[in-house]
Amino acid sequence: MANNDSNEKRPGFIRRIWNGFWSPSGVLSLGFLLIAGFLGGVMAWGGFHWALEETNTEEFCISCHSMTKNWDEYTDTIHYNNHSGVRATCPDCHVPHEWQYKVKAKIMASKDLYHEIIGTIDTDEKYEDHRLKMATAVWTKMKKTDSRECRNCHSFEYMDFTIQETRAAADHQKALDEGKTCIDCHQGIAHGLPTGYLERYETVAEGLEAAK
Amino acid sequence: MLDILGTIAGNILSLPGILGLALGMMTRNLLVAAILGGVVGVAETYIFSGFDFARVEPLDLAIAIGVGVIAGCVGRAIRVRGATV
Repeated sequence: MANNDSNEKRPGFIRRIWNGFWSPSGVLSLGFLLIAGFLGGVMAWGGFHWALEETNTEEFCISCHSMTKNWDEYTDTIHYNNHSGVRATCPDCHVPHEWQYKVKAKIMASKDLYHEIIGTIDTDEKYEDHRLKMATAVWTKMKKTDSRECRNCHSFEYMDFTIQETRAAADHQKALDEGKTCIDCHQGIAHGLPTGYLERYETVAEGLEAAK
Repeated sequence: MLDILGTIAGNILSLPGILGLALGMMTRNLLVAAILGGVVGVAETYIFSGFDFARVEPLDLAIAIGVGVIAGCVGRAIRVRGATV
């Protein structure tokens, strides 16, 4: 006697989708699937990259209220306004160019959304309370990466010390000789410095040195 | 914590995750898939450290290898499940 298949229980919706997903296509050629997969991949990757780049703009960064104070401080610096008109915007200093590190920075920046919502630094007083902690995080990252984001634009190799101010040229030569990195001297290059910043920076530098 | 999560995400969307998955899909052997993924993890960390092993962070290397191995194994599972050859 033949088995009666109609008595078998029909798989659930998710199971049917799963089974269908892993079943060979009966109507589509391999070429069609490859071309469609390639186009789908390009669109998905392009869309993802475009969305990521949209979050990598100055306008996006300062659209949060929390960014008001550090934006105001930044606009008083040479990285915002200078004789050549070349600018370093927020992502130029805070987001690595290398893909892997950029993704990492974006993941880590998700905490900024949380703090924007709960208002961690939404007043000047709160900002000052957190300034040293925030600065320490940036200094640590800069020190660990040999000021990677600074070096996207600045390089000792292409500095002409003869047209720098005497003090700057001497300090840059000293930094080059001693293997120092940009953030070792330029902690307050784009934002105000917190009280006790020097002691904290020395602690950061010594901690990283000891960890090596 | 966010530092580790970010590193993992960066690796998933970078060479260990994508190339590891692709290489894993080229074999039905679990060990080979895992090794291929792990090798991609090592290679990627080496490349991103500027071809200088002295600058490689042990944690970054461990995460890259881990992600590569897992991606390779997932790729192998896709091969076994979705192909007859």
